[in-house]
Amino acid sequence: MDSPLVLVIAAPLAVALLNLFLPIALRKAMTVIGIILGGVLVRGFFGAPPPSVALFGTTALSLDDLSFFSLAFIHIIGLIIFLFCLKGLDPGTERTFLVLYPLTLACANGTVLSSHGVGFLVFWGLSGLALYGFALLGQGESASATAKKTFILVGGSDVFLIMGLALAAMSSGWSLFDARIPLAGPAEALAFVFLLIAAFAKAGGFPLHTWVPDFSRDAPVESAAFLPASLDKLLGIYLLARMMGGYFEVGLFTRMIVVTLGALTVIVAVMMAMVQHNGRRLLGYHAVSQVGYMIMGVASGHALAFAGGLFHLLNNVLYKSNLFLALGSAEKRAGSHDLDELGGLAKAMPATFAMALVGALSISGLPPFNGFFSKWMIYQGLLEQAGGLAPAYAVWLLVCLIMAVFGSALTLASFMKFLHAVFLGRRPERFEGLREAPANQWLATGLLALLCVVFGLFAQAVPLRLFVFPAAREAGFEAFTYPGFYRPNLILTLFVIGFLAGLAVYLLTAKTRRDGAYIGGHVPSEAFRVTGTDFYKEITEMRPLATLYRQAENKAFDVYDLGSKATFGLSHLLQRAHAGQLQVYVLFILFGVLLFMILAG
Amino acid sequence: MKASILFDFLVFPGIVFTAGLGLIAGWLDRKVSARFQYRVGPPLFQNFNDFFKLLGKEAMLVKEGVPWLFVAAPLAGFAVISLVATFVGTALFFGRDTGGDLIVVMYLLMLYSVTIVLGGAAAGNVYAGLGAGREVKLLLADELPFILACLVPIVHAGYRPQLADILARQAEHGMLVGSVSGAAAFVVALLAVQAKMALPPFHIPEAETEIVAGPFIEYSGPLLAFWKLNQFMMFVVFPFLLILLFWGGFQLTGPGVVWGVLKYLLILVLMIIIKNTNPRVRTDTAIAFFWKYLSPLALAAVVLAVLGV
Repeated sequence: MDSPLVLVIAAPLAVALLNLFLPIALRKAMTVIGIILGGVLVRGFFGAPPPSVALFGTTALSLDDLSFFSLAFIHIIGLIIFLFCLKGLDPGTERTFLVLYPLTLACANGTVLSSHGVGFLVFWGLSGLALYGFALLGQGESASATAKKTFILVGGSDVFLIMGLALAAMSSGWSLFDARIPLAGPAEALAFVFLLIAAFAKAGGFPLHTWVPDFSRDAPVESAAFLPASLDKLLGIYLLARMMGGYFEVGLFTRMIVVTLGALTVIVAVMMAMVQHNGRRLLGYHAVSQVGYMIMGVASGHALAFAGGLFHLLNNVLYKSNLFLALGSAEKRAGSHDLDELGGLAKAMPATFAMALVGALSISGLPPFNGFFSKWMIYQGLLEQAGGLAPAYAVWLLVCLIMAVFGSALTLASFMKFLHAVFLGRRPERFEGLREAPANQWLATGLLALLCVVFGLFAQAVPLRLFVFPAAREAGFEAFTYPGFYRPNLILTLFVIGFLAGLAVYLLTAKTRRDGAYIGGHVPSEAFRVTGTDFYKEITEMRPLATLYRQAENKAFDVYDLGSKATFGLSHLLQRAHAGQLQVYVLFILFGVLLFMILAG
Repeated sequence: MKASILFDFLVFPGIVFTAGLGLIAGWLDRKVSARFQYRVGPPLFQNFNDFFKLLGKEAMLVKEGVPWLFVAAPLAGFAVISLVATFVGTALFFGRDTGGDLIVVMYLLMLYSVTIVLGGAAAGNVYAGLGAGREVKLLLADELPFILACLVPIVHAGYRPQLADILARQAEHGMLVGSVSGAAAFVVALLAVQAKMALPPFHIPEAETEIVAGPFIEYSGPLLAFWKLNQFMMFVVFPFLLILLFWGGFQLTGPGVVWGVLKYLLILVLMIIIKNTNPRVRTDTAIAFFWKYLSPLALAAVVLAVLGV
């Protein structure tokens, strides 16, 4: 039991237990030590995977390149987000937060290291429980309802995971790493569907995504960056990558269905994100929308798209946590995450704004940032895939591709609104004298922004070569050739040259003067403030979108609400059957006995 | 980086060439528009004079705004348009991809819209804010049909997004605009380009009579000169892109030059005619037009392209 694999799980677990008793400052120190220790261990696994750990005669923990990929980024992101948490956590919930944080890390590590189905299940379930714990720390009026919803959706999907793994185990044993299950019979098909449900609920794929925006709004902002934006993606897509990369032998039609679900996730979530008035919910919907790209890439069955899907996972973890944290910084200073109330913070918080700008451009997939590189890989993979298919399938796949490309334009639009509403536009008077976020906070967002740039410029040399391609090879994909053409370094160099040339002309010729804004003779005042939240009113009022938006507002498409309505409806029916009269109950028993006799033959 | 790429970027077909030709194309636009309105129109070098005059004027920075972003936006826009001009130009004239394929070009064009939005939003003016919002809405409206239209040449080129492949395919099988799918996609792309350049009837973000030039209201002096220059450079970049995607490219030898110039003039004049014969549409009308009418047409073109028609 002294394997380093055990230690990677045990160290943060021990920190979590210790943190139950320590004072706050020590809790923080212990967590940092725990993550760094884990990081050092994981660094040691690089190129030299440790021996597997056996328990009761079967392999329990094991490390391959796919799990190494997830494990490494769990530690990287865990450390950076914790840097943000060092100062500025909500004092009311800080103590519990510092227990849940290492506990979540331990569960996530356990999940990706478990090669046995039962171990995987246990750690997966526990990480869901930790998620519920974070949700309970929320303080808004709807926080408890959100926690319940999160628990029911994510916890409920664990039931499917259990059933799926058990069904899969019937045909190929409990090992997650070595199995190859053909989708031949109904049991295997059902196992696939159940595991898909579990992965979608965790990662936030359509239609099981509805807990993500609510959790993002109500839970502490650090936990929104940590779980739905980062770890839950790493875990959910890890499971999906295992399923699509060898665990099941998936046919073209099934792949197409999953790719379509991915494309729908992109579009549906981003359309909802565009109209949000709450900054956190907006980011939550984008956390969902980005999963769509990963699902499309990983499910397509094309080597480049698969690698692109995994790379997009990393990129999303970076820019999405960056955006959540940047909004968190703004929110902690300005006291609100409502987009209608914020505005003009760029002057007071220039560092935070610059980091958020990098995050926004990255998530919108603009070159030369990281989000573009992974999307570009996915697009090319899908294009090449479509080229080899029959016309009907090709058109189907192209439609999915168009949805993805258009989704990124919508993402851009949504983030223009976000930046305008939070950082630009006119500053409300009550924000006079607001200060920049504490150094640890913009250092954390700055590190994430830096990684966004580095992963965009040196994609080939750093993330792809070290992490993504080995993981994709582990899933059975080889030969990553690009049919397209893209030189991010050249683009950046030429951009800088062009920009500097322009700047030189400006500096040499400009005579500048500062003056108030001109609005046709009116005195600029608060009344003329454009918050940006109504940028897309025309779209929400357009037919047939208007009806859809209205119904979405009434939660007509929320699986959770539909499910609870169905459950309450059913229980209401059953309630009415309880008349309290003895004769009725005797009749029930009689019917039951009759039914039993018929069924028993 | 090779010196030849630097030459491509700075001189031909990049900044100097595109800016020079753009200013002349802008003159053609003003001249033809004037003829539509029974006016004489400006002399050939008027745009050059305007540009240098603006460089000598005072640049005003708004107190309420974010000055560094306000200054950076037009310059970043200039750099982005120069990049696109280089990538499209080297493919068009020399048949090679320099920095990116069609997907990269599409995203760079989105980045240009971002610079307009950020510049407008950084101005701290209510009209600029409204204009920035409209710019994004217009981007949303035209992007869907534009993506679909761009997919048609990609599909015809064997599902490859490289600009050189698209040209090579047309050299082998003839201009794409000669096929049903190509012709439909060209019409869609032309109208989408009209909106991407915010030319009438899609000058919704600027709408002088409503929101007084929108995102550009607070710009003056050299910064305004750069916005104007960017707009003129687009008069080169977009027609060249359309020639590349649908009209078989631009040969620099013998009669190829004459054909190339004729193709360019054809597209430019088409754009100017559309510009001068239509009044401004409302935002919701524009979105409905692009999403409900042009996008299905473009989708039909994609389906036809898959079938090889």
